[in-house]
Amino acid sequence: MVSFKRNIDGKYKGFKIHRAMYIRVKRSKTTYFIRCDPTETVLDIKEKLQVLIDQPVNNQRLILVGTGEVLEDSKTLADHKVENDSVVALTLRKDDNEFEEVDIVRPNDFCQSRDADTGNW
Amino acid sequence: MKKEDMVKLISAEGFEFVIDKDAAMVSQTIYNMLTSPGSFAETQHGEVTFPEISTTILEKICKYFYWHLQFASGKETEFPIEPELTLELMMAANYLHT
Repeated sequence: MVSFKRNIDGKYKGFKIHRAMYIRVKRSKTTYFIRCDPTETVLDIKEKLQVLIDQPVNNQRLILVGTGEVLEDSKTLADHKVENDSVVALTLRKDDNEFEEVDIVRPNDFCQSRDADTGNW
Repeated sequence: MKKEDMVKLISAEGFEFVIDKDAAMVSQTIYNMLTSPGSFAETQHGEVTFPEISTTILEKICKYFYWHLQFASGKETEFPIEPELTLELMMAANYLHT
């Protein structure tokens, strides 16, 4: 465990109060960091996603990665025990009206992606 | 929430992270890219590509941005860093002025 540099210099004081937490919504190679509150419903989250991905709420399905539980619109994040930094999979409705399978691409290994000996930044 | 309030950070492997602009601006480098008056392509599209930063590190950095803002608003939690990521993370942090 290493403590990271904290530069709290007051530069961001003007911003509105930040929500308590965020979740990571993943689909394919994309991750959306969504600010939220445990009291918000799953539908609230889908409405936020709608703005970003241009897909209507009823074409979205959210699944909590880890338990594999499908999140219900009417329930709150707290009901589903979705916590800060939780990973949620997003699946979309396909043309045949079914939802696609969970598809989250992971980077194979963070070392392989770059030449170990050049390693220049 | 509006689309313009989000920015997309793209890693070396082409993975995309869509995060709040104010969180991204914890990084002085990204802040400069997004706010400079010149016409950085980044400013217009809200997209920044980091060909030097791997996906794992970039995701960690995004988490750090959010943690930083939570911490700054008084929520005192630890920011866990896996020892094997430390070096790469430090180099990325140096590049991003974070």
